[in-house]
Amino acid sequence: MFNEVYNKDKIRNPYTKIMDWANSLPRNIIVKKKNEAENLFKKIGITFSVYNNFDTSERLIPFDMFPRILTSLEWKRISRGILQRSIAINAFINDIYHSAEIIKAKIIPEKLIYNNPAYEIKMVGFKVPKNIYSPIIGTDIIRTNEKDFKVLEDNCRTPSGVSYMIENREIMMRMFPELFETLKVETVENYPSYLLEILKSLPPKNCSKEPNIVILTPGSLNSAYYEHSFLADMMGIELVQGSDLFVDEGITYMKTTKGPEKVDIIYRRIDDQFIDPITFDETSLIGVPGLFDSFKTGNVNICSAPGSGIADDKAIYTYMPEIIKFYLGEEAVLENVKTWRCYIESEKKYVIENIDKLVVKEVHGSGGYGMLIGTKASKNQIEIFKKKIKSDPDNFIAQPIMSLSSVPIFSKKILSPRHVDLRPFCLIGGNRKNKLVSGGLTRVALKENSLVVNSSQGGGVKDTWVLAE
Amino acid sequence: MLSRTAENLYWAARYIERADSISRLLEVGYRMSLIPNTNSGYNNEWESILDTSDIKSDYLKYYKELNKENIEFFLLFDDRNNSSVSNCIKNARENIRMVRTAVTLEVWNSINSSFQELQKFTEKKYKSRELPEIIDWVKRQVNLIRGTILNTQLINDGYDFLILGTYFERADFTARIIDVKYFILLPSAEYVGSEIDNFQWSLMLRSISSFRAFKWAYGSKEINSNKIIDFLVLSMMCPRSLIFSIEKINHHLVRLEKFYNRKNKKEIKISRFYENFKKLNVNKILEIGLHIFLKKFIKDLSTFYVSLEQKYFIGIKR
Repeated sequence: MFNEVYNKDKIRNPYTKIMDWANSLPRNIIVKKKNEAENLFKKIGITFSVYNNFDTSERLIPFDMFPRILTSLEWKRISRGILQRSIAINAFINDIYHSAEIIKAKIIPEKLIYNNPAYEIKMVGFKVPKNIYSPIIGTDIIRTNEKDFKVLEDNCRTPSGVSYMIENREIMMRMFPELFETLKVETVENYPSYLLEILKSLPPKNCSKEPNIVILTPGSLNSAYYEHSFLADMMGIELVQGSDLFVDEGITYMKTTKGPEKVDIIYRRIDDQFIDPITFDETSLIGVPGLFDSFKTGNVNICSAPGSGIADDKAIYTYMPEIIKFYLGEEAVLENVKTWRCYIESEKKYVIENIDKLVVKEVHGSGGYGMLIGTKASKNQIEIFKKKIKSDPDNFIAQPIMSLSSVPIFSKKILSPRHVDLRPFCLIGGNRKNKLVSGGLTRVALKENSLVVNSSQGGGVKDTWVLAE
Repeated sequence: MLSRTAENLYWAARYIERADSISRLLEVGYRMSLIPNTNSGYNNEWESILDTSDIKSDYLKYYKELNKENIEFFLLFDDRNNSSVSNCIKNARENIRMVRTAVTLEVWNSINSSFQELQKFTEKKYKSRELPEIIDWVKRQVNLIRGTILNTQLINDGYDFLILGTYFERADFTARIIDVKYFILLPSAEYVGSEIDNFQWSLMLRSISSFRAFKWAYGSKEINSNKIIDFLVLSMMCPRSLIFSIEKINHHLVRLEKFYNRKNKKEIKISRFYENFKKLNVNKILEIGLHIFLKKFIKDLSTFYVSLEQKYFIGIKR
């Protein structure tokens, strides 16, 4: 396991000043500041809700005050790697819905695409504005040693967490302004203006004026609602629900006190299947009837485009190095985690024989659900998974149990190491306009030795610092 | 502005006003329980409190009898009562949360922290003796929220919808309070000037927190029912009178018309209503009949709401 602070007994360079600070903080101040931070989060209303429990369900994501630090050199590599991936992902989606060269070249087996629930046949042959399907990509990265950052997952549908990236920094700056005088930390607050710029660069075909941009949220009970309203606020655009929009003769409008107002670009934070009850799930109450039609007529752009999810599937993930090579002619800057694909007979055999040393994941699962950690699972659970893999091998992949790097948290009495990952947010616009703020969301597993960082399963967050050169 | 935003602002303000009204009603109940020899009228008073807030039938669904502590709890914290103070605060906060970007951070903070503080009352068992403290807290929160609205909001269309919500609720509530007890304001040879009248009148004034204001406005000598009607219905000095609310509603509706440049051929009905209201006096109201007058007032108010809704909250084609 890689400890980001200590290299043997020596404190690694980027952390020296922060360790001095942390060690000099008196106990009572730590407790006081912790409460202060919690109150700030509560006061601002930075909460997330948990499903099935919606009257007293608002919870705070636990915030730890010890920052996670990356040097500018480390960041350079990470940012090069995720930009490369994000560009390749968009090229890949575009190809899949057009001539499918990558399948013809026999690089990806066609069944992985055409049998994939995220593949959207209605998108075939449709040209999205500037060929950008997924303008906002959150890449989950883990660190395995001094040199190696690996990609664990790409999220190109509606990745969330960026508001925490910004608010964590706000709160750190408010509570410990002196730290930002001693260390030069790259700013993250320009993310909303970058996002706005990127979205603006993707107007639909039939839009001649300055585009009218909105964020589409499932509503205030959604777990990421705070983020939706935060982004709308920071970008100065309307936050709409499905019921605020309607489509008339192929044109999308929002209902305003002045009457209907045309909408040009929708940054949607609802899933494909709920977008439009006419085209997709007819029981959807949060979608807009006729929206997909309006999109395909070129009257409105939907970001990310329906069908983008084809690229962040765990089975497709395994091909990311080949995808990058195929479209960009480059080697991947960031490696994948070694992955066994159970649909390949020999790999399936390996997985079943070594299941107690592996993490097995469902191809379409997310949020830490539908997975098995071999070292921690009971015999019974292992047997169940073996059966599942045998009966439906296409649906499973397996990875070695990755030891995520660790950064300390302020535990009750002492600084105590916990595992972390990193999710930066990459923005891909039209005309090669790409943006990336220097930073990301660091998620931390609060339980000792736990490797699960998801907020739905007891994970917390940290402010992430990229040091300026 | 999104139609839904306008609607959320309007309802947030209504719920805030309602929390205030309900807690003032409870204050009246509390006072009553401190005054000896009111046993005869005791249950009636609690009943009329339920009547005023229009929730008696709801209450009787869950409780067998009219009992002080149950009624207090029902009005304050019972989740099954959509107009309980805690639900009003929750609803106000939820409405604002849905349109957070339409209010200032101060307004959001004041509502959000009221909601957070509310937990300290709701998470333990309700005790009747804590009522005064709770009522004070509610009034303080409402004044705080209203203060931040007045002091920090941009005076734009959103502001108009907030103020409209407040005064629609207030006009409705005041009309109901008078109507539930309208008979005590009717001239009657038997009771004029009796102790009971005086007591009943003072309760009515207190329930809209205008007891002292009335004394200031009319002097303390001759209290009589005509003066009370005048004060509660027709006095521009009384911030809870019907005419005061109508004046505000008219003002803000006209402002919205101008703001959205919708001054079309159609005359604004509320303006004419307001003009006619100004010409009223107590005798005319008594001629019409106080009860009939109030019923009609409440009905007219809901008609104005429907046109507000159609014009601004629906947002499709006009």
